[in-house]
Amino acid sequence: MSLENKVGAALFEVIDPELGVNIMDLGLVYGIEADEDNNVVITMTLTTPGCPMHDSIKNGVTYRVKQIEEVHEVEVNIIWEPAWSPAKMSDKAKAMLGFA
Amino acid sequence: MKIDTNIKLPLSFILFALIAFVVAQIILFFSSGELVAGQFRQPDIWMGAHFLLLGFAVMIAMGAMYQLVPVAFLTPIWSQTFGFIQFFVTAIGVTAFAILLGVKPNIAVYGGAVVVIGVLMFILQMVITISKQEKRNMMTYFVMGAISCFFLTIIAGFLLAWNIAFGSINQHNTILATHVLLGVAGWFTLLIFGFSYKLVPMFSLSHGFSMKWAKPAFVTYVVGLISLILSFWLNNGLIQTIGWFIVMIGFLFFFFDVKEILAKRVKKKLDKSFAFAILAIFIGLGIHVVAFVVSLIGISDQATWSWLIFLYIMGWIVFSILGYLNKIVPVLWWTYKYADHVGKEKVPLLKDMINERWNLILFSLFIICVLGLVLSALLQLGILVWIFQGLLTITTLLYTLAVIRILFV
Repeated sequence: MSLENKVGAALFEVIDPELGVNIMDLGLVYGIEADEDNNVVITMTLTTPGCPMHDSIKNGVTYRVKQIEEVHEVEVNIIWEPAWSPAKMSDKAKAMLGFA
Repeated sequence: MKIDTNIKLPLSFILFALIAFVVAQIILFFSSGELVAGQFRQPDIWMGAHFLLLGFAVMIAMGAMYQLVPVAFLTPIWSQTFGFIQFFVTAIGVTAFAILLGVKPNIAVYGGAVVVIGVLMFILQMVITISKQEKRNMMTYFVMGAISCFFLTIIAGFLLAWNIAFGSINQHNTILATHVLLGVAGWFTLLIFGFSYKLVPMFSLSHGFSMKWAKPAFVTYVVGLISLILSFWLNNGLIQTIGWFIVMIGFLFFFFDVKEILAKRVKKKLDKSFAFAILAIFIGLGIHVVAFVVSLIGISDQATWSWLIFLYIMGWIVFSILGYLNKIVPVLWWTYKYADHVGKEKVPLLKDMINERWNLILFSLFIICVLGLVLSALLQLGILVWIFQGLLTITTLLYTLAVIRILFV
């Protein structure tokens, strides 16, 4: 399994505390990149700008990814373009929120 | 940019406010005789009303703004130390002022002066904080409009207290009407409108809405308020009826936006607390319609308008606050207690911190109590007023305990 896939799998354990759905199924993670030194860059968004949980989710992602043995450094970039939309959610997340 | 606020700052305001909420209801319970008689301009009622509006609603609004302004406007609070000083000044001022209004109204002006200092400190804090916002939006205009109304409310209120003490200013009743209008409809309504544009989409996870009525709502509501104030000062019934019509239309524009936001929500099942805040919007709109009709058909008796104001305060302002508070406090406490544990260990969800069944019971009781209180007062059923106000006092106490319980999760 590639490091990117391992990071992706770990991020299924980071839950949005308001919605009770993990950030991968919510479609918040736009990209995971790892270089040859195993430094990981995660590009992600949040459901709304000015979300009170901004720092909590960002720190949670950093901490969870650092727990993976091979990972050296972690950088989390929160971006607002392209904006998150419900279309980015998995069917599982949609069902959990009653949106299916 | 670090925009986090020290949790102790908003929490100090919220805890003080919850105590004031219970105290206000106890005072009103012991004043139920005056309530039945529709005698709202009595020292006991002034004391209860100011514990409710200044002690509870204003202090909650201040605490919530210390928490929400940084996240919603993406700008840190100008000075948190100044915020703590402002809390102590305002808390002391509000307590002294409300008690003096009840026991020695002729010297309440001195407590009022401390309140004015506390409020001016708050306004200074918010104006400096919000002025640092990079990009203005409609929420900025609503909040700045609300703050402007708050400033005028507090000045008008101080003039009233001055008049009770020294009696040198004419137009006492006109200033009183202006004070009440700018306080309840200007400050609180514009503030709730503004923050609802952030909170309603956030708590319902709504996307792709237009907010196309926000600007018309703001402009119309402010024009309506100005018309009403003019009508008070010119003593003109026609302008007053037109003013009630305009504010009703302004509220309706806001309602259209909320309707669209909710129609485009992802989260289909809304939390009880949030649904209660949404119910308050329906009540607010309903009371605006009733106020316009009452003005149109020329009903001017003090009791009818006093109970309409009471319904507006409880059904719109207080219900909005009670609903949102049950969402804001868990976010506040969760961020403080669990934010650093995300990704490390299993942390509770926000919904685990509140008891939805309890909330349903409490919110139902609030609705029953307020409706029962107004109906029994209008029908002059003294014993029922006493019972419903007693039940409202108990419900308030239980609600307060339910919010405090969140801090032990």
